[in-house]
Amino acid sequence: MKTTATPDPVEATGRTPVEEAPPEPEQAPASCTERGCAAGEKPMGRKRFLAQVASMVGLSAVALPSLVRAGLEAVADGRTEESGAGFLKDGPEFEEDEAANIIIRMQRELRKAMRKPIEQRKWVMVIDLRKCTGCNACTISCIAENHLPGGVVYRPVMEEEIGTYPNVSLRSTPRPCMQCETAPCVPVCPVHATWIRPDGIIDMDYDQCIGCRYCMTACPYHARTFDFGYSYTEGTPEPDQPYEKVPSFEYGKRWKQQKGRSPTGNVRKCHFCTHKLDAGMLPSCVTSCIGYATYFGDANDPDSLVAELISRGNKIRLKEEMGTRPRVFYLI
Amino acid sequence: MNDTHAKPSGLSRRQFLKTSALVGGCAALATACRRAEDLSARAESGALSPEEFYELSKAENIVYTTCMNCNTGCGIKAKIVDGVMIKVDGNPYSPWTMTPHIRYAHSPAEAEIAKLDGAICPKGQAGIQTLYDPYRIRKVLKRVGKRGEGKWESISFEQAISEVVEGGRLFADVPGEESREVEGLSDICALRDPAVMARLRADAAMVANGEMTVAEFKRAHRAHLDKLIDPDHPDLGPKNNQLVFNWGRMKAGRSQFVQRFISNAFGTVNRIGHTTVCQGSLYFACRAMSEQYVNGQWTGGRKFYWQADLRNTDFVIFAGSNAFEGGYGPPLRTPKITNGLTERRFKFAVVDPRMGKLGGMAWRWVPATPGSETGLALAMIRWIIENERYDKAYLSAANKAAADAIGEPNWSGSSWLVKIGEDGPGDFLRVADLPEADRPEGDTDRFVVLRDGRIGAVDPNDTAEPVVGDLLVDTTIGGIPVKSSMQLLYESACEHSLSGWAEICGIRVRDITDLAREFTSHGKKAAADIHRGVSQHTNGYLAVAAWMSLNLLIGNIGWKGGMIESSTYNATGTGRGQPFPVNDMHPGRLGPFGVSIIRDRADYEKSTLFDGYPSKRPWYPIADSIFQEVIPSAGDAYPYSIKALILYMGAPNYSLPSGNELNDILTDTAKIPLFIANDITIGATSAYADYIFPDGTFYERWEFHGSHGSVSQKVQPVRTPVVTPLVDTCTVFGEEMSMSLESMMMAMAEKMELSGFGPDGFGNGMPFTHPDHFYLKMVANVAADGAPVPDADAREVDLLNRSRRHIAAHTFEESRWRKAVGEDWWKKVVYVLNRGGRFQDYPDTYRGEQLTNAYARLINLYCEKTARSRNSMTGKRYDGIPRHYPVLDCLGRELPDTESEYPLFLSTYRQSVQTKTRTNSAYWLLAVVPENAILMNRITAQDSGFKTGDEVIIKSATNPDGVWDLGGLGKRPVSGRIKVVEGMRPGVVTFSLGFGQWGNGAVDMRVDGDTLRGDRRRGRGINANAVMRVDPFLKNTALSDPIGASVVFYDTRVRLERVG
Repeated sequence: MKTTATPDPVEATGRTPVEEAPPEPEQAPASCTERGCAAGEKPMGRKRFLAQVASMVGLSAVALPSLVRAGLEAVADGRTEESGAGFLKDGPEFEEDEAANIIIRMQRELRKAMRKPIEQRKWVMVIDLRKCTGCNACTISCIAENHLPGGVVYRPVMEEEIGTYPNVSLRSTPRPCMQCETAPCVPVCPVHATWIRPDGIIDMDYDQCIGCRYCMTACPYHARTFDFGYSYTEGTPEPDQPYEKVPSFEYGKRWKQQKGRSPTGNVRKCHFCTHKLDAGMLPSCVTSCIGYATYFGDANDPDSLVAELISRGNKIRLKEEMGTRPRVFYLI
Repeated sequence: MNDTHAKPSGLSRRQFLKTSALVGGCAALATACRRAEDLSARAESGALSPEEFYELSKAENIVYTTCMNCNTGCGIKAKIVDGVMIKVDGNPYSPWTMTPHIRYAHSPAEAEIAKLDGAICPKGQAGIQTLYDPYRIRKVLKRVGKRGEGKWESISFEQAISEVVEGGRLFADVPGEESREVEGLSDICALRDPAVMARLRADAAMVANGEMTVAEFKRAHRAHLDKLIDPDHPDLGPKNNQLVFNWGRMKAGRSQFVQRFISNAFGTVNRIGHTTVCQGSLYFACRAMSEQYVNGQWTGGRKFYWQADLRNTDFVIFAGSNAFEGGYGPPLRTPKITNGLTERRFKFAVVDPRMGKLGGMAWRWVPATPGSETGLALAMIRWIIENERYDKAYLSAANKAAADAIGEPNWSGSSWLVKIGEDGPGDFLRVADLPEADRPEGDTDRFVVLRDGRIGAVDPNDTAEPVVGDLLVDTTIGGIPVKSSMQLLYESACEHSLSGWAEICGIRVRDITDLAREFTSHGKKAAADIHRGVSQHTNGYLAVAAWMSLNLLIGNIGWKGGMIESSTYNATGTGRGQPFPVNDMHPGRLGPFGVSIIRDRADYEKSTLFDGYPSKRPWYPIADSIFQEVIPSAGDAYPYSIKALILYMGAPNYSLPSGNELNDILTDTAKIPLFIANDITIGATSAYADYIFPDGTFYERWEFHGSHGSVSQKVQPVRTPVVTPLVDTCTVFGEEMSMSLESMMMAMAEKMELSGFGPDGFGNGMPFTHPDHFYLKMVANVAADGAPVPDADAREVDLLNRSRRHIAAHTFEESRWRKAVGEDWWKKVVYVLNRGGRFQDYPDTYRGEQLTNAYARLINLYCEKTARSRNSMTGKRYDGIPRHYPVLDCLGRELPDTESEYPLFLSTYRQSVQTKTRTNSAYWLLAVVPENAILMNRITAQDSGFKTGDEVIIKSATNPDGVWDLGGLGKRPVSGRIKVVEGMRPGVVTFSLGFGQWGNGAVDMRVDGDTLRGDRRRGRGINANAVMRVDPFLKNTALSDPIGASVVFYDTRVRLERVG
């Protein structure tokens, strides 16, 4: 298994003989997801990956009530309650053929969820591994949406070959932040710069973050990366291209990518595009998924697509036994 | 002309950028940042709603257009903040990027519609980095060193136009060229009188047909002989033909613009595309299969191919067709496949030596040997015919009336009888061939079928009398041995037993029978979907014909869940009720004539150059756009020498197999005296040009992308400027415009006073002084096709303006756009532009179980037109029916390369994160896959002692050292790193295209005396095209398919050697 979103000298499709020696536990999928398997490093099969996930013991997560309160306060700025917002209105009439489109359905459900108070929403993401082709559209869309600098990736896609020639298949696994219900990254933050919102999203305050990276170590999914402020165009004849200078919209604020200013020097992570949710729009990885493999919605809404999907028997969560209770489900 | 217009820029620049040859930063960023801070503060204070804060949700910040980071042509919405395009998403109106797409009637001004994003692939997402590329050029560059030495100076647009038009000692400062006189375009454009050209054309055709002698011709036209390339060969045409315009990627719009300047105004026949480097044989085999028989002539064959209706099919065989990563294309095909896998009974098989992402999710991956594709199709055909699992009723219908009678949308010549001569199957048997007593009454030009022993005459287009024929016929009629077309196919399939075919394909008999059984188990809801992997072989045309014959056998063409022919709204205005037939609106237009430099769609035997076999280089009577022939033909001066080459958006020396062979010719000023390129950067081939004119990227210009067989709706995606072009402006015909392919051609036309441009360019009082005058008319044509689109309401007209408020007046000005089409059409034009084109609604796509836009004509199983044409190298007739051949050179000889010396087959593929040439500038993509690798099966690796990460050189019989010779840019080894995988056929190695570049900023250049440092990230990985097999007779061109002209990517044997 390897991460296709982190620079790696040799491209993806590392073959994965299951019978090979198991990787060291501490190197297991996590190390691969973070660094990408170096050439020649033994990747592992999906079954083994899942088995290992099952055997790993995670950090005991303690949800500190004070942090939850902090989160509540942070979002209680009235924005999500605003009655005049467009997402509260009914959208245009869609015909039956259009309504069959899951993007349209999920966007409607999102609008419905946004009408409720934040603590009544339960955002979950569902990723159907039978449909993910490993194209990396989500990876790049996320980079573009959130203006991620070099080295920061919120949604890598891991790819593994299963079987031996000629009986081989391929499985691709996107890995966003799992937005754990009991998130190991939250309690370790010494400055309370990260917390669980009432709707379940793990929030960040870049201005609070001191860049100590404890949370990176604590996350069993390696979903957090450090922003060193690398620019993709550094060293070229025209560095700092216009698209790099325009501020991003993360967390409902405008962040300029600038050395010495947040979020440079901070830890960064996937946030389900909260700034888009606030505007009544789906996360970028959902709308950019060309395989229609990524679903998003409010699990508290029994009529929602995600509620339907996670009621089925073919769902798994990564490292569930660690007690992290991820809000990202995989269909297999 | 004025090129001093520079964009305001508050950004500091590095010292070497004093040249300003490159595109700079963006306007008014400081203001933008201040505004951003203000927005944040207002958002936090609650004064701004989240929607207002998130500017990408607003209709006024979105311009709908069409992507071109590959050739799929997905609808996109460019999201713009403060004049900067910062996000690209799919256009929900486009069936490419939303499945199913929204109804066309929705207003884009509606907030919820503006928030609806479709899905677009990683290359499309990263198009931002194609637009804002640090290596883009903004001024004209002229070489100051030898060709390909990488030394440039920036010059004014005005100077560049003067020099290329007027010629002279243009490179007097370059050592060795002090006294070289370059002939300018004005002199090459020798014949400018349309009436004279028409007379010469008519008589030259008579000379070629043997109806007039050369002496008679010379007598009749003695006043104009100096305007011909060679008066002894008048069929070569006028000297104007010595200008060659060659492109890599061009769609409708620009295509008509180029036609107007290059052919209709300048008068050269040499306007040549690139089809054969993509999948020429796929296009030309289908053109042959779609030729219609009208008034005794084969005519109207379409350059197209069918692709599977993935949304509704139950079973697909993808053969050499990588639907998840290429093949027109991932965003529109992937969801149909993945939804099919989880929502309905759908499965698919993949025939490819590489498993890839598609094979990795397939029901069956069949890694057949490269080059055996025809064999696999014929093996399946044999099994299907012997087990009678074909659609007998459909195939027996011999004319339109018979098809109508059984509710079929189209019909085939499967039952038609073919005369068998001494050299094999020849012409169809016609009524005229029958003994007089047996001759049915009526037209003697009709074809003949047998039905239960009785003769039937076939007019394929007859709608009155259904004719049905027996399918398997082998008999003699009136002393003439005849066989039915289907019989010929069956005999071709019987050339080997199933186990014989299995051995050729390197697969199990079970693979053949399983595929064939499954393929024939779903009625018409099955499909064989093919692409480059089938067509880019020396037998590519016949391989394509074999696979398409499989589709014919189950009668799936035009059916829901079967095979689709694309359908588009006409932009050229030739249809009924369309306002602007742009090609005809050209007073004084020339009608160019002569054999093209690539000898396409021309018979060697019908030229004055005929001198027995072989010809000096191959002729291609049924193919065109033969990319690999352009530069080598100029090199060999066959059929004539050229004087100037204009290359647009092409990189033949990088993208062609054995493209390195071109560098010697490109750098030879005797063979290509003037070389002009139009490019967005210093590209792989434009690096060898004399002049590079800067162009806009696909976000800064117009086009009409058209469609593919993978799209079942009638559509016309429009490409329109979404930002102010980043290049400098110039002034042509008194109007300011950005430098682009259009302004370059318009300025040349202005300087040479050519027809079709200027204040009365479209006719009296109809100006053509700005590119918009042309393209807006084409948008009006799209709006007018069939039932015109509704008028845009006031809110939509306002939206068009607001969403383009950041674009400079030289690129968007409502009054200019409105005037170009007139008030009658303006609101309809707005309606189309506001949606990124015109798209048929999903429910209108199907009529019952058939496609609304179904292919509804004759399909040729046996292609008589092909069978009548001769291979100019061997003198033999082409095959009219699919047949398996081994790899052959242009003289029809097997290659001497042995397995012991070159044990591996070399193949190529595409990844979702790179296109073939153009996306090495996208750093986001390079972050995902920084470099490609040479994929090799574990078994091969074990046998040869390689492991993942080993660096190796690839060598072949025609590149035994494994070297890219780039001339002045140096030499580099054809080397890369091994990646050991399971998902490859043992014995085959492959690499993905798009890596190993020297163009687009990958290597150092000198510009205006300073070093422009290349970025090594852009040049990593391997491109092994240089080792691909050169034809042993031609010596400067890769192996090619003699019929369909595809250049060959997959038939080279190689050896890998460890570096060091």
